[in-house]
Amino acid sequence: MPGWQALNLEIAQYGATVVTVALDINAEHARPWHELGQATHPSVVDTLHATNPLFGFTNIPMAVWINEDGVLVRPAEGASIERNPMRDMEIPEGLPEALDKMLHAVKDIPDDAEAYRAAIIDWAKNGASSPFALSAEEVVERSQPRSDNEARATACFELGDYLRKTVSQDAAVSWWKEAHRLHPQNLTYKRQAWTLVTTAPGATENDLMQGPNDVYDSSLVAEVSGDGGFLQFIVRPQL
Amino acid sequence: MILTELRTTTREFAQATGWEPKPEGLCRGEICVPAPGAVNADGSLDVAIAAARLGMPLVEDADHGVWSLGPATLSGKSLNTAVAADPELMNFDGSPFRLSSLRGKKVILVAWSSY
Repeated sequence: MPGWQALNLEIAQYGATVVTVALDINAEHARPWHELGQATHPSVVDTLHATNPLFGFTNIPMAVWINEDGVLVRPAEGASIERNPMRDMEIPEGLPEALDKMLHAVKDIPDDAEAYRAAIIDWAKNGASSPFALSAEEVVERSQPRSDNEARATACFELGDYLRKTVSQDAAVSWWKEAHRLHPQNLTYKRQAWTLVTTAPGATENDLMQGPNDVYDSSLVAEVSGDGGFLQFIVRPQL
Repeated sequence: MILTELRTTTREFAQATGWEPKPEGLCRGEICVPAPGAVNADGSLDVAIAAARLGMPLVEDADHGVWSLGPATLSGKSLNTAVAADPELMNFDGSPFRLSSLRGKKVILVAWSSY
């Protein structure tokens, strides 16, 4: 979050602002990170994951660009703006297998951060004349596919969350499993579900490893240590 | 959109989905889809008709008497229009926030999470 705050300070002079939105069913889970960021830009929370279908977010970080008239000039795409320090870390021998697999998977994530950050600054400065600003037709065309399965996954995820809040956490599981089956590339739906069952009761931070568990058939470690790695979930920016 | 019956108000439907009733049909941005029979004289909306016209899946949990309406699949893309949606989001102090409050500025909307 500090990286986005720094970028926001840089682009404010051009009439641009960052808005960060936490896709978190519980705002309290996101609050410590929000407070750490000390954002001067709008920092909001989306407890219903409503922005997921409305903008096409399927992973984090992802971003859309919206012009002064409320029109999208770039669709949802991967939005890293800082090189992940884990990419340059030497992985020590003897780590637990799951952690070792996760660290290797992180190293394999494509690094578009520098180019994406530069593109944002160019658009902030130059607006519609920036080569990174797309036409309305291009924005729709470049947005991610949505079949009936993917739309149905959104309905299942929302239904599960409703039942989680009104019935019990267990009532969400079958619907969230169905959302995962229908839209396997939506990592946000998966990680939101996994973290609720792998985070220890009373823990002050969510479990980021999201390893094998007794509730869901899948886990983050299992999915990213396979052939597709994290890349299968990443929408790389076409700059 | 969560429903306990397959009828809602046009206002609630528009707030949840972004699709608003107009004389041409159900519209979002520059896209309008004819939806005869979807809007009733009393201002209510027949969700099943609207869902069929917009290609929105309806998922039912019969045990709990609830439906969930998925997003439109008209274009086969996650976006049907480049006009940005304007959902009600929440500041960390609990107050509401809408992207439309930033009209006149360029906005980079970044999704992140604690997990």
